[in-house]
Amino acid sequence: MTLNNPLRYCARWLNAVFLSAIALSVHADNIQDFGTQSFAQIKQQYAGKAFVLSLWSIDCAPCRVELKLLGELKKREPNFPLVVISTDPIENREEAADILDDYGLKDITSWMFADAFVERLRYSVDPTWHGELPRSYFFRADSSVESHSGVLTPEQLEGFLVEIEKTN
Amino acid sequence: MRIFPMTFKAIPLLLTLAGSLLAHTSHAQSCASLRETQGEDLVSVHCGSAPSATFDATGRLWVAFVQNKHVYVSFSDDKGGSYSTPVMVNKEAEDTEYNGENRPKIILAPQGEILLSWTTKTSSNFTGLIRFARSTDGGRTFSTPRTINDDGLNTGHRFDSLYLTESGNLYLTWIDKRDMEKSLAQEEEYPGAAIYYAVSKDFGETFSPNYRVSHNSCECCRIAMAPQGKDNVAILWRQIYNSQIRDHAIAVLGPDGQVSGVERATVDDWYIDACPHHGPSLVQADSADNYHMAWFSAGDLHKGIYYARYDLAQADSAQLLEIDATPGAGHPSLAQHDGELLLVWKGFNGLATQLQLMRSNDDGKSWSAAQTLFSTEQASDHPLLISNESGIYLSWASNELGYVFKELTHDPQ
Repeated sequence: MTLNNPLRYCARWLNAVFLSAIALSVHADNIQDFGTQSFAQIKQQYAGKAFVLSLWSIDCAPCRVELKLLGELKKREPNFPLVVISTDPIENREEAADILDDYGLKDITSWMFADAFVERLRYSVDPTWHGELPRSYFFRADSSVESHSGVLTPEQLEGFLVEIEKTN
Repeated sequence: MRIFPMTFKAIPLLLTLAGSLLAHTSHAQSCASLRETQGEDLVSVHCGSAPSATFDATGRLWVAFVQNKHVYVSFSDDKGGSYSTPVMVNKEAEDTEYNGENRPKIILAPQGEILLSWTTKTSSNFTGLIRFARSTDGGRTFSTPRTINDDGLNTGHRFDSLYLTESGNLYLTWIDKRDMEKSLAQEEEYPGAAIYYAVSKDFGETFSPNYRVSHNSCECCRIAMAPQGKDNVAILWRQIYNSQIRDHAIAVLGPDGQVSGVERATVDDWYIDACPHHGPSLVQADSADNYHMAWFSAGDLHKGIYYARYDLAQADSAQLLEIDATPGAGHPSLAQHDGELLLVWKGFNGLATQLQLMRSNDDGKSWSAAQTLFSTEQASDHPLLISNESGIYLSWASNELGYVFKELTHDPQ
């Protein structure tokens, strides 16, 4: 680092402070990087347990209908096992966090695509998924999986909830 | 809904390696390598997002792309070997959409006017504006961008497409939510959005009022356009049928708001209440009022990329062909030149994206086997084909290779 231009040095230092402040405020949400290994880790976390996976994006209007349903369900059933992943680049996390907040999903841990090579991330979730959104999965305790494209219905979610309660 | 076991498939590594060797024949350069020598702030076709390309009457290649909230235009006199310093189109930064289905469009009029459209996002809630700008001095300066949707509403106007007919009618078409807003205000259901268009008969100096093509389109897929006669265009878009099925519709648009021949063009029965983000491709066939279509569906009847012909007079499609039903295949683009019809699309084998090509020499009746043009293990855009009198070219951006512009016809002039 050269010190022959103190003003410039000072500006750089201020810039660094400013950027760290932004970084801190950005990470005030509960959004984590979703990489190629993330889904394997999530599944490991839920090993032997049932959960619902819901994939959404900022640009997807029907996704908002599903987020609203999930938000309401989570409010009523705070222990409902829900994994939410946004397929938007994690650089747009503030926008995503605002939307999650609108639906009461701000406090749950969720993920955002953290690799521009989205094809590989999609494949890591399900090689047969074409990328349409919303996309969801019912993972059961016996490792069976049911996939669904399009908005989930309250009946589907209620049915799964009853199933979980029975098995637990 | 269906049940499947989550077993991941083996990765065909050898195919990937073979593809990487092909890729090194390209002249393109990755943005990362250019920035090492030219600085982090470099604005370039290789660093920008969602490029579109076109030729002018002299054979000069023009490319529009988005970088740092600006649309830029750059040209090449050696078919993509080297590019001019990009010129900024919109002086004021706009939240210009740049993704596979939403990119700036560029057309060169016969007298050299440069015509551009794009979508500017105005909120997180699917709202946007259809923007237009042009240059009448060969790309040195551009007019202040203006908004073409004329409803003044803060609602969705997105997924623009632009086409200039042989007779000089400039068609701008897009997906519009004004009718949805009206229905919602009356507490009525309105599946999807609508298709609207406007026409300029003076190369973008003025535009007609907005005309509606159809209610209840899908909200999130690009619209394909091709000529119909000298004055009109045919368009192909994803439409919602019976409130639930998202298959394709075709229509012919006239320069004064005439909409005719609105028909269902594909029957895949894709029952889905979701955003496929997967628009079709449409080019004119050899015989008048016949078209080649390529599209993606995950319907009950067809899953994957499909090709078919469409006959406007018969209002019927024929020669339906499954192109690629491999999971991960998508985003087809068609082009025709001198009796040769080309189709490119993206495939994914679990590790790498593969850019696939098929050829037909008999107007789509029979096709060659698929050939892998490029393979990359990094992010890439949708592939686009463009044609002029000298051939068919691939226009494709990827992180690994930068912007690739490549001649694909057998016998380059």
